[in-house]
Amino acid sequence: MGNESAKTNVSWLAVVIMLFGLLSLASHGTEMLKQAVIGPGSSADLGFAADCRADELEEEQLSLEECQLMVSNVRIILSSSPDWFRPYQLAFSSLGIAATLLSLVTAFSLINRKSPPLRLAIVSITLLLFVDVAGFVAAVNTGPMLRAQYLWPLLLWISVHLCMLVAVIRIEQYDAVDSECRKPETS
Amino acid sequence: MSETGNLVKPKSQNLPRLVVLLHWLLAASVFFLFVSSWWMLSLPLPNAEFTYRELPFQLHKNIGITLFVAVITMAAIRVRSLLREASSHQSWLQRLAVWDHILLYTLLTVCCLSGYMSSSYSGWATKLWWLVDIPLWAAENDDLNILFSEVHLWSCWALLGLLLLHIGAAIYHGVGNDGAIEKMFRLR
Repeated sequence: MGNESAKTNVSWLAVVIMLFGLLSLASHGTEMLKQAVIGPGSSADLGFAADCRADELEEEQLSLEECQLMVSNVRIILSSSPDWFRPYQLAFSSLGIAATLLSLVTAFSLINRKSPPLRLAIVSITLLLFVDVAGFVAAVNTGPMLRAQYLWPLLLWISVHLCMLVAVIRIEQYDAVDSECRKPETS
Repeated sequence: MSETGNLVKPKSQNLPRLVVLLHWLLAASVFFLFVSSWWMLSLPLPNAEFTYRELPFQLHKNIGITLFVAVITMAAIRVRSLLREASSHQSWLQRLAVWDHILLYTLLTVCCLSGYMSSSYSGWATKLWWLVDIPLWAAENDDLNILFSEVHLWSCWALLGLLLLHIGAAIYHGVGNDGAIEKMFRLR
């Protein structure tokens, strides 16, 4: 791989890591918020009826049925979540945020360092892939209503991170071969 | 590849470190605000029992207000160079890039301001980062709340469209390796 081509790969890689890193940060952040807000023993769990005043419905551009179903939506989450699901999601979302931040630092290092830290990129993307797979395994073990919400986006994330990981491993291999070829021969 | 005449070649001078950091802070905040707001609007309407919206809405407003300060700071730093680039003779792609930035700053400002105005007329108080009470300077007004909510909604959709163009341009520069990506990542 020529020097110009290696620089192109690294520049492209930094953009891709950054783009999916920012999306991953938003996704894990929202999941944490979701688990922080919707907890067992909250009002929807206690059977309170939805409060759907006409002025609020107009303001939110909602039908009465939609307004009532919003409470059912929370009940679906609560009733299909096993006891372990909430702490598990909170822990893995935190780990996901940490892994994503590491990948963002990696993206900066790819551009700022003379020798791009491709090994660090492999570690951070592997960690992200691990978080995705752990989330997928957790979702598989919940009820069908939560599986319907979680499995498809997680499968997409697994695919994205897998593609990124394979790309970085390949670039790293090229880089290693290239460095070997450029070493001066010793007699 | 970067030598080809038709490609957009940005000027190679580095951006101030503050601009680079603010750019990524803005990007992270905007993505989070979009994703979390799509979810939080599906939560039950608020009353004394249903307080599910309290934390997400407060967080949304806090990030929005902080974002506004960051956008104004960044625009103040970049306005002169952007206007100079807009008036100089360039290819249509370079002109598009400059106008994309100007529109991005404008739409970000409109999104933040319309969100704040809508919140002000909704009658719900805002405590900035749970520390500082922002005084309610307007009385509750449903019509104005709905009006500013609509402006907020449509300016945010327009912003999302423009962001996709911006991301497409970033990938274009990344694959072209023309120095633009280095400018946005360089911290020295």
